[in-house]
Amino acid sequence: MIVCQNLYVTYRWRQEPVLKGVNGTFRGKSLILGPNGSGKTTLFRAICGLTNIKSGKILIDEKPIEEIYATKGVVSANFQDIYTLIDAKAFDLIRLYTDLAEGDPQLALKIIEDFGITADFLKKRKLSELSSGQAKIFCTALALAMKARHVLLDEPFEELDPARKGRMVNYLNEYEGVVLINTHETWLLKNLQDWEAFLMFEGILYGPLTVKDLLNARISMAEEPDSLLRLSLSGKTVSIIKGKGKGKLLTSLENLDKMYEIAEGLKT
Amino acid sequence: MTKYLWMNAKHLLTNPYLIFWSILFIEFWVFMWAYVFGAYIPPIEEAVRLYMASAYGNLLMLSLSGAAVTIASTLLYGSKSIRYVTKYTRLSPARFLIENFASALIVLLTISSVMFLSVIGVFHSKFGFTILPANAVGLVFSIFLGAVFIYALAFFLNSIVVVLRSPKSSSFIFFLPLIFAFTAYAALWVDFGNLAYVSPFNCIVSTCYYYLSGKAPPTGNLTSMAQNNRPLVDVNIALASLLAWSIILMVLDTLLLRKMRGISIEEIRTA
Repeated sequence: MIVCQNLYVTYRWRQEPVLKGVNGTFRGKSLILGPNGSGKTTLFRAICGLTNIKSGKILIDEKPIEEIYATKGVVSANFQDIYTLIDAKAFDLIRLYTDLAEGDPQLALKIIEDFGITADFLKKRKLSELSSGQAKIFCTALALAMKARHVLLDEPFEELDPARKGRMVNYLNEYEGVVLINTHETWLLKNLQDWEAFLMFEGILYGPLTVKDLLNARISMAEEPDSLLRLSLSGKTVSIIKGKGKGKLLTSLENLDKMYEIAEGLKT
Repeated sequence: MTKYLWMNAKHLLTNPYLIFWSILFIEFWVFMWAYVFGAYIPPIEEAVRLYMASAYGNLLMLSLSGAAVTIASTLLYGSKSIRYVTKYTRLSPARFLIENFASALIVLLTISSVMFLSVIGVFHSKFGFTILPANAVGLVFSIFLGAVFIYALAFFLNSIVVVLRSPKSSSFIFFLPLIFAFTAYAALWVDFGNLAYVSPFNCIVSTCYYYLSGKAPPTGNLTSMAQNNRPLVDVNIALASLLAWSIILMVLDTLLLRKMRGISIEEIRTA
């Protein structure tokens, strides 16, 4: 279980925080939806210990992350820059990281090959020489093969074709452990109906909701009394409401960047 | 030990920058020392021994300093990974430091051996006789100590860049070992006096010179023809200085490692 308590993160001193008091508990499989630049990736980086926390706390299995060192099997992630310990061939990186985390190199290879990338190809290329789509598959497969209790996947569907997106969804659904993915795409909600969902806008985390609720949710520009969530977008209040009626269906948006167009009253 | 140790050693040994700047480029200067600068050295064993000791000490110092630049750069590019693996894999910060140190040491000692064999070989071909170290064990010890210092310095410089989050300054900070090494190289013409003990780079040259030739080197102005009445380096003080520098830097390295959050490759590229 990952718990964030009133988390503030800034990248530089005196800069406006990227995360502004994030509170959330991630237990099972959770999805964080938010537009680009909303702080989703920063939240994941903070959980991985890759950014300075200005204030607040992150607890992983009740232990503050600043006290966690040399503990395998706790957190894995698909950030490319955590797999650059050595600028080696991609195949060697699988051997290295599964050795360090006592993960399963065969599982990593199986997933990667399932996405059409062969072991021979990985023996010839460095991670930095893979295309961005291949690198994303590679890092996601490696994160899943590290056998950690918590897997953080940053935009795992990015640059995948629809068939491969479906395959990736299957791997995520089958994974035993806490899986946290962030994305700005809404198409996948119907494939992850048993998951919890959070929304993230302007450095603030909203939720949780069930994905089932979110599938039927509509966006209203008014402060609705029975709203599922009330968001603040560029200073304007937007309500996420349940069921049929007024407002635009959330899943009808191609991605959540469009929320700002709705908030600004622009045609989407 | 994990796979990291050997994989990192292999990675560093096959690094083209390291091969060029620390081996091939310095090999060129081995030939220059033997055939061009050594043209006036009489082919007498004692004279050649002192001259070769000076050549090896100085060229080894430059070679290891070049390797320090590569080691610091690879650490910077892997800085995010270092943070991650020391938290969420079985590689603790201390264990990472030990394995990274051991792999770098393998590389630095390999470079030192290549330099040693080539100096022996090239000087043999120029002067017609083979000169072996007066104290082989002492020479190995002094090279080892020099390598430890160079590694500790490279790690420290990388830590400074990462902790200050200043990838832009890396192009200057990482070249400090070479800048200091060339300053120490000036001892061929300038007598640094007691400053020769303060500079660990001069200490590397002095200790290698001593164990290779069997004689203490002067504190500077090695190329001077006036050989008499020049102050000589106390090798024990030089060794103590090198050891002290290494220990201080290693302690700082250990402290700074926990402060490092890493710099992303994108940030390094755009700096």
